Amino acid sequence: MNDQHEGRSTEARRGASRGVLHLFLMSWLMLPLALAAQTDRATPYTPANDAVVLQLVPPTTDPRVRQFDQLRNDFNAHPHDATKAVRLAQAYIDYGRATGDARYLGRAMAVIEPFMASSTPPVPVMLVHATIQQSRHFFQASREELTQVLKRDPTNVQALLTLATVAMVQGDHDLANRLCVDLTNEAGNFMGMICSASLRGLSGESAQAYALLSYVQDPGPKAPSAINAWIQGLLADTAARMGRADLADAHFKKALQWTPGDNFLLADYGEFLIDQNRARDAINLVGNDTQSDTSFLVRVTAEKVLALPKAKADIAEMNARFQSMDQRGDHVFLREEASYLLHVEHDPKTALALAQQNWKEQRAPKDVRVYLEAALVANDATAAKPALDFIDRTHLADVTIDPLVVQLKAMASKDSTAALSAPVTSAPDSTRRSPR
Amino acid sequence: MNPRRWLIALFVLAIGLMPLSALAHKESDAYVTLRTDVKNDHLMHGQWDIALRDLDYAIGVDTNHDGAITWGEVRARRAAIEDYALTRMTVRGDGLTCDMQPTDQRIDEHTDGAYVVILFDAVCDKNIPSKLTIDYRLMYDLDPYHRGIVTIHAGDKIAGAVLGPSSPVASLNLREPDRWGEFKSFVTDGIWHIWTGIDHILFLLSLLLPAVLIMRRTDKRGGGLRAYAAIAESTGTLMALSPGASRYRWEPVASFWPACVDVIKIVSAFSLSHSITLSLAVLGYVHVPSRLVESGIALSVMLAAMNNVYPLINKRVWLIAFAFGFIHGLGFASALSGLQLPAGAMAASLGGFSVGVEIGQEAIVLAFLPLAYLLRKTRFYQVTLLRWVSMLIILIAAGWFVQRAFDILIPGFSALLPA
Repeated sequence: MNDQHEGRSTEARRGASRGVLHLFLMSWLMLPLALAAQTDRATPYTPANDAVVLQLVPPTTDPRVRQFDQLRNDFNAHPHDATKAVRLAQAYIDYGRATGDARYLGRAMAVIEPFMASSTPPVPVMLVHATIQQSRHFFQASREELTQVLKRDPTNVQALLTLATVAMVQGDHDLANRLCVDLTNEAGNFMGMICSASLRGLSGESAQAYALLSYVQDPGPKAPSAINAWIQGLLADTAARMGRADLADAHFKKALQWTPGDNFLLADYGEFLIDQNRARDAINLVGNDTQSDTSFLVRVTAEKVLALPKAKADIAEMNARFQSMDQRGDHVFLREEASYLLHVEHDPKTALALAQQNWKEQRAPKDVRVYLEAALVANDATAAKPALDFIDRTHLADVTIDPLVVQLKAMASKDSTAALSAPVTSAPDSTRRSPR
Repeated sequence: MNPRRWLIALFVLAIGLMPLSALAHKESDAYVTLRTDVKNDHLMHGQWDIALRDLDYAIGVDTNHDGAITWGEVRARRAAIEDYALTRMTVRGDGLTCDMQPTDQRIDEHTDGAYVVILFDAVCDKNIPSKLTIDYRLMYDLDPYHRGIVTIHAGDKIAGAVLGPSSPVASLNLREPDRWGEFKSFVTDGIWHIWTGIDHILFLLSLLLPAVLIMRRTDKRGGGLRAYAAIAESTGTLMALSPGASRYRWEPVASFWPACVDVIKIVSAFSLSHSITLSLAVLGYVHVPSRLVESGIALSVMLAAMNNVYPLINKRVWLIAFAFGFIHGLGFASALSGLQLPAGAMAASLGGFSVGVEIGQEAIVLAFLPLAYLLRKTRFYQVTLLRWVSMLIILIAAGWFVQRAFDILIPGFSALLPA
């Protein structure tokens, strides 16, 4: 497997600074390559010479790579040791999260899958398994597994938190609330507070949520930077939901200071900037990272808003990316694709169908938003009913969502008046993706 | 807060933000394309695109670990890459096995990075059947979410499947979308079988020759013999040597219509009976050894021609056609099984072949009947054709019969008449 990396670490350390320089130069070398690829994708070619760089991969100068190489060797030496397997899998998941590379979820899964064959797999193995399921947006499967874990070990903090996260995404606020309480009892105030702050943020109590998060926002000097970035990110989202763009912007910036280049923060911040009519800033934010689909999506959307000449080629590229995701048949990009279809391709009908399909799995504020936006543009208030009911039930409040609710309710009452004279045709649910 | 708490928090972090947005890169995919060769039915040309990132993870391509895979590094690992990939996919079908032989290595840019393109030939040990089974195991132990997107181009037909560790095998129908094309090709096979199967043509011609004539008995010895002849006719007993049977003469039919009806009766009876045995044999209900069938056909040609020289049956020639049609049907069936029937396409092939046989047969009839009608009054038709050609047919058929029934090769005979 990665045996080739063995015994190379000393050499790698020596060449660390040189490696960084290499990478910098290579990003320039890669640029014309990527452009050439866009114009002529269909034809395989023979590179001009041996020195042509084709693909960047994690270098051994990256300490995280060295770490999972070491864990890998450790696991290979003890292939039946579940603890070592879990450690390696977690390292892969961490790396996948930070870089946004979904391949690492598969690699983590391959490591722990053999241990899942038993009828009662070790709890840590099940937790990793449930985490991967959740990351791939298989929320229901993840939920069932975590419920199993909590039956065996009701005070497992990790299971409580993960299940609380799943419950919030699924819109099951009652379950999330119970889990936050359990969490406070088991893990102390810090985790419990973050948990309930997150939940309040989804229940129309953003001001309290913001206050709670501000209270824990300095977790102390010993806290890892990822924790700080996480809290700052939550603060930014909450502030944005309250309509406090200035605060949100400041928190996003702080978060990125803790974890520069974090893929999720970049996407989240980028979407926020576009909302704030700061498309130019959004493009500068994601920079030249065209390999990340989420960053590229921010770039394409911003280019479209600004009507840049580059938009046309990049939209074609984005379409190709969605197409290759479709080919797999199990992609998890439904919300992003719905939003893209609505705002970039101006295809509200297909966007609505995707948003409805996405709604079956996930109900976070951004899922609600794209659903309502699509229904509004598609002029179909009836289709939005599940999301509107959900908002009534959970009291979700968000400055990007509230006006949509008002407009849709107005449209619905107009429709019902019109319905007295003419029958309303409901939107077909079966509209799948149209060929692009 | 103690370090253990931080560890827990960190792990939660690893998932905490995830649901808010999807991962930035799609999961691992590879693309396999197979194309059947235009000329060689044993050959397919393949292209397999595998992400360099996947290959680096699986077998290591970034040999100097600097984080940048160069073309030089890919070239240096060519053999290892081909060996890794090509041993992880098999193409099977109807006992077919294919040997994967790499032919070239290239690079292609996909939406998520650079891919190695392995060009290869699948060299199979027999004709590629209409249904292929693909067994795909790339990355099966390294990434359960890897998918192989397989597309097969067979002529202008395309079949495809998405395979992965949880479902590594798929059977693809290469010709299913074109049942009509299949039907048509079997129609052609049927036509050619009739036209090139000279024994069938001679049988039919022998029966058709007297259709434009009426046999008048010339003896006036009373009804006894007439009754006898009638019994012989209906029982089909060979009466060639019976006394007095040779006292007759041929007279041309007065009008076209009775001759036409006669021909229709003969052809329909032949079609009906050979269709029955053809179907029964192809569907596996009847099996008669080929030697018996082939000698039977030779015998039928001989007897049909003999009936023109020593007429026993004149008014009900269709009976001969019907009776011997059964054995000709068995002959068609063995021809059909030699054409490599695609399993599951039985109806299309059987129906198409039968229709083809009919068309071939009708074509012969259409060419024959007007000509025969025009010539029916001539001595050439009545004597040369009817008698001497029939004699010749008897001779030929006798030769076939000897060859086929006793497995004896008559020197020079096969060169003269290949059937």
